[in-house]
Amino acid sequence: MAVHQVIQATRKTGTTVRRLLAATAICAAVLGATPAHAQQAAQPAQTAPPAPRERDPDQNLDALQPDFTLLALPTTLRLPRYKMAFRVTHRFGRPLGQGDFGDLASDFFALDSSAQIGLELRFGLMRGTQGGIYRTNDRTIEFFVEHNVMQESDSRPLGLNAYAAIDGTNNFTDSYSPALGAIISRKVRRLGAFYAEPIWVNNSNLLPSEIVDHNNSFLLGIGARVRVRRTVYVVAETAPRVAGYDPGTTYWAAGVEKLVGGHMFQINVSNSVGTTISQIARGGSHDTFLGFNITRKFWR
Amino acid sequence: MPQFLPCRLLLLVCVVAFASFIAACDEKLSDLAGPSPNLQPTFASIQHEIFETTDASGRAACTNCHTDAGGRTPSGGLNLRHDIAYTSLVSVASRGKTGAVRVIPGDVNDSYIVQKLEGQPGIVGERMPRTGGPYLTEGQMSIIKRWIATGANND
Repeated sequence: MAVHQVIQATRKTGTTVRRLLAATAICAAVLGATPAHAQQAAQPAQTAPPAPRERDPDQNLDALQPDFTLLALPTTLRLPRYKMAFRVTHRFGRPLGQGDFGDLASDFFALDSSAQIGLELRFGLMRGTQGGIYRTNDRTIEFFVEHNVMQESDSRPLGLNAYAAIDGTNNFTDSYSPALGAIISRKVRRLGAFYAEPIWVNNSNLLPSEIVDHNNSFLLGIGARVRVRRTVYVVAETAPRVAGYDPGTTYWAAGVEKLVGGHMFQINVSNSVGTTISQIARGGSHDTFLGFNITRKFWR
Repeated sequence: MPQFLPCRLLLLVCVVAFASFIAACDEKLSDLAGPSPNLQPTFASIQHEIFETTDASGRAACTNCHTDAGGRTPSGGLNLRHDIAYTSLVSVASRGKTGAVRVIPGDVNDSYIVQKLEGQPGIVGERMPRTGGPYLTEGQMSIIKRWIATGANND
């Protein structure tokens, strides 16, 4: 009996020891695992790939203001930082009203005639600020910069850009005409956007100030872009000179355009082949000219 | 706030650059005047640069003929001698064409001197200078016209 009891006690002790050993091992494992777990938790913060950058909202399509210009006048559309846009303008030199319809048709509605062609490249210098260069084939070069002072939003009823430009004839070696102005825009829900653009153009009269009454022009650009279908717009603009040098007639232009991806295709008519601000300040004619613009945004 | 600083600095730089550039943008009168680069729209300047001087293009001075110097008879009865030129021109009837007035202050188109210098239809006699050219350039004429348009003052 006593032996049996000893054997049982020994078995119990062995079981207890095994249990103790097992418990110790589990504790050790748990204790040892704790730092490793903590390390694993810390690792994602150190090695995880950086969160993707938030997309610049300026890259989003503004359906009511899809382009940087109406026909020739600028808009308040912001160009994303470090992005580019390109524009080509054509104004055919043959007046549409010259001759009868047969003459016009034989000239393929003025497409056979020479044209004033302009090439423009603009660049987003920083958020809200863009600059560019525009050259027309009458050898005028225009530099411009725009800064978005106020962006239209729920709390701000208007968009506002500060605008400065200077053009020079003969590849920017002769007569220079600087311009300063503001571009004010107002978007109307689902309909389109409307613009008022007071702009002062210095040396719009290319004669010395000693022999002319007015050397500068102050014009008030007025324009609208109306969305008639999801990607189709009707655009119009005019630029009456309210003070200063005002030869010719008041400039006007109108057109229809289609947005296709990053492109905007526009066909237009105007009473001037001029497309820079100083050319617009010099007014239009009594003739009407056919033209087109194509814009390409390089981020869409 | 600091994020707006570059924008404002850029704007300031642009405004300053523009202001300085604008001051230099006006066309130079000397470029327009061409062969008589010192010509101004004043009577004293026109008297000296046009009436009394043969310019760089070879256009003959008016006083080669229109003078009483040396006892000569001024051509067409128009004496452009320095001290009496103004009173010979402004609001004085032409001897060559009845009813014409040599210079009508403020009226460029009807001033007979402009018609004669440009050789317009309806003039009596030859275009001036009668040497057959060179004639006054368009720029020189613009300056003379400006003097008439602003009142043909004896300035």
